[in-house]
Amino acid sequence: MKLDVNALGTFYRMAREGAGLAAGRLTKMTGVETQVGVTKLNFMRGREINHDFEDGAEKVGVRVALSGGLDGHSVVVFDRKSALRIVEMLIAESGVEEFDEMSRSAATEVGQVMNSGFIDGWADVLETVIDVSTPTFIEGTTAEPFFGDIEGAPGDDDLALLFQSHIEAVGTEIGFSHYLFPERDSMAALLEQIRSSDGIEYDKLDGFDRMAEQGAEEVARTATTLTGIETHVEIRQLNFVSLEAIPAAVADERLVGVAFEFEGTPSGYLLFLFDEASAHQIVDAMVPMEVDEEGDGFGEMGESAIKELGNIMASGFLDGWANVLDTTIDHSPPEFIHDIGAAVVDPIIIQLGETQEFAFVFDTQVVADGREFDCEIYAIPDERDLERALNDLDVDRIEETPTTANFEDVE
Amino acid sequence: MKTYGTEPGKPEPVQVGISELVVSEGDDTLKSYGLGSCLAVALYDPDSGIGGLAHVMLPDGDAAENSDVKPGKYADTAIRALLRRMVENGASYTDVEAKIAGGSDMFEFESFGDGVGQRNVDAATAELEKLGVPVIDQDVGGKHGRTVEFTPGSGKLIVRTANGEHGVTEL
Repeated sequence: MKLDVNALGTFYRMAREGAGLAAGRLTKMTGVETQVGVTKLNFMRGREINHDFEDGAEKVGVRVALSGGLDGHSVVVFDRKSALRIVEMLIAESGVEEFDEMSRSAATEVGQVMNSGFIDGWADVLETVIDVSTPTFIEGTTAEPFFGDIEGAPGDDDLALLFQSHIEAVGTEIGFSHYLFPERDSMAALLEQIRSSDGIEYDKLDGFDRMAEQGAEEVARTATTLTGIETHVEIRQLNFVSLEAIPAAVADERLVGVAFEFEGTPSGYLLFLFDEASAHQIVDAMVPMEVDEEGDGFGEMGESAIKELGNIMASGFLDGWANVLDTTIDHSPPEFIHDIGAAVVDPIIIQLGETQEFAFVFDTQVVADGREFDCEIYAIPDERDLERALNDLDVDRIEETPTTANFEDVE
Repeated sequence: MKTYGTEPGKPEPVQVGISELVVSEGDDTLKSYGLGSCLAVALYDPDSGIGGLAHVMLPDGDAAENSDVKPGKYADTAIRALLRRMVENGASYTDVEAKIAGGSDMFEFESFGDGVGQRNVDAATAELEKLGVPVIDQDVGGKHGRTVEFTPGSGKLIVRTANGEHGVTEL
């Protein structure tokens, strides 16, 4: 299977189109104004999908199987509370707390209408017919009942292509997510049909992403060593998104961070972003004396501690990439930032926006148990460079390249 | 420092995301959040109270393929689209005034050249001049992010920054 940026861009537009249709239909059914949140095209491994899904909240879902123009599964997932509120609106009854026959069928109907909205969006763009099966109603707190029994569902280590959208009702707590799992063969056929360039071998992207995983682990180890705070990689995913969607996904608050540009094959930008509490914790851990918290809040000492941490984390991260690509990737000196999250990211997407519309974003979250240490890492390579780098990638090399991490978990 | 809290019962501001533009009138507020090198272009006709806000990402739409689909993405095409929609809604072209904010350059990366923010400011200024729309006020450049709120009826553009140094500016 070969990927191509134009084809992925088309898929992205389909997913957005579908989300818009689904949101419109929810409004029609419930009378509540809705808006489409972030739409993402993810490359995720099975275990990451499970992890992402398991936030402890009870969920209900409505799942359909797809065939015809696209084979796969489409699942609409609500937080249980959201689903109950929607059911209340539909059956004009309050205080619904359990799914009895009536509320279950109301919820299934809503889910079905949403699923059809998404699928119609796809079918419109593909100018084809996609058949939708009878919906199944699912309740659970883990990913297992929702995705576990899907034929061809990704194993823990398999890299799956997954479409995610989020829709929320304006001014309420109601929101839901949509997941679309295309079957690999069907996706490959579609890609082949839409592709307009040589593209990237999926196996190479998979291999590269596996190395990126090692780089992320290296970052967490570095952070632990330098700060003494026990950290680990919480979430890691590879997204394909429109440039405009990147700042929108960054926390809606003032963040502290370190930014780099990197040069080589690939070149691009690397950002480490902390919330303010985490940044203060890091400064406390790294600087033995009292820090002057006047002015920008971190003082010269604090700023240089964060820059130093960022610098070492950046080297760890990029060395992982360079090793497997058998190349050199140099990075700039660190630039310290303390500003609104979106404002920090937009200069980068503007620069990339001169030549590309979409970007692959390697998104990693490093956290500490029981302590404030939330670090969001965004690596955004220049698309043309990434394609070139991946095409040059020798997949066999991935298995051979020594890393400090052990490969037993990956094999 | 003056603070502008949300008043109870006041309608929520309309969010204008990156590459989007919105035309409105009267007391409606239009808001663009977290501008770094992006530029907010606010146009309004003081007599009719019709105005609009664009959250521009790149300078040159005439050179881009998709500027007809996404006019709000580029400074030149966004300004023309705003003006056209305002006039369609009853604004008088010759009375329209402009205020701009944003266009910071927070990074000194080599790949950024003279600065991605400055390029946006220059492009918007040139296009407004070409169209004969006077720039009444501006808060551009620097190394910090901004959040702007625009009320077409009053032509007021409130610019907030994250750090105390620059605080809140009213244009």
